[in-house]
Amino acid sequence: MPENVLPLEVGRRLGSGPSRRLRREGKVPATVYGLESDPVSVAVEYGALRGALSTEAGTNAVLHLQILGEDHLALVKEMQRHPLRRDVIHVDFLKVDPNVEVHVNVPIRLEGRAAAVEEMNGIVDQDVFELAVSAIPGSIPNNLTVDISSLTVGSSITVSDLTFPEGVECLEEASTTVVSGIITRSALMDAEAAQSADGEAPTGEEGDQGATQAG
Amino acid sequence: MLMPKKTRYRKQHRGRTKGMTKGGAELAFGDYGIQTLEPGWITAPQIEAARVAMTRHVRRGGKVWINVFPDKPVTQKPAETRMGSGKGNPERWVAVVRPGRVLFELSYPDATVAREAIDRAIQKLPVKARFLSRHQGI
Repeated sequence: MPENVLPLEVGRRLGSGPSRRLRREGKVPATVYGLESDPVSVAVEYGALRGALSTEAGTNAVLHLQILGEDHLALVKEMQRHPLRRDVIHVDFLKVDPNVEVHVNVPIRLEGRAAAVEEMNGIVDQDVFELAVSAIPGSIPNNLTVDISSLTVGSSITVSDLTFPEGVECLEEASTTVVSGIITRSALMDAEAAQSADGEAPTGEEGDQGATQAG
Repeated sequence: MLMPKKTRYRKQHRGRTKGMTKGGAELAFGDYGIQTLEPGWITAPQIEAARVAMTRHVRRGGKVWINVFPDKPVTQKPAETRMGSGKGNPERWVAVVRPGRVLFELSYPDATVAREAIDRAIQKLPVKARFLSRHQGI
């Protein structure tokens, strides 16, 4: 028995009213398409869906959809959530071939501590939170780890600096900035104020001491 | 204060704020955010007050994004004026928000301080709002 098996009910009624009734019963309306097959409207138990997508792979988990006794390999293509309740209101499943590459977005996880940035009162600014990659369904990484320990203020880590697992190809441009070390305006103003205090202070030991306290 | 540089028309109808937000309900830039739970009009000074409250609390080391812009003019007739003689003069600018809209986003290394900063900013807003985090399980 494969993992992440998701039984689906076919033959649901379409439209907002029947969909709302489904949601009241604890089910989520969904659609299955892909591999040049006609789209099928289905319903899935919310608990089962949540369980299947709560693994380490997250929303990129490869699912085994059970439709009328047949097993279909699929990925979640799109998931719509209610803006306030945050519960899932609709899911698109994309049928995939285990030997054909698919395009998915993989989350980025920052690793390490940017000591050089923290020393200068800067911040680590993450520009991209997920990257589009191409991989076969079996080798989709759970996340892409980016080591930020060598990051300094003014420097950045781009897609070209990342190493991807074997069989995973990044679809973003190599020059795309993933994370950068920046210094905020307020920190810059503080530093300038400290510098100007340095300049105004009288030269000598007393002045130096005063500047150190201000800094 | 935030306001449009130029507009095609000086005055607008009030409009309706029914339903949920059509977009902008997810965090796009920062790790934390403020999500409104009510529809309403947020004036430019209120946006500025919330921004100042947040930036003063995080001091340096934080980054703030404002996701809403007050692009709607609100008119008001002068006090003790008889009714009639047309619509009043534009007095302030507001951003129209519907439930679910993320109003501000914040990046800060310490989650506790970020939470406190956002709580202070929420106090400045005329709508019920809540703290939103990228790291919270959904």
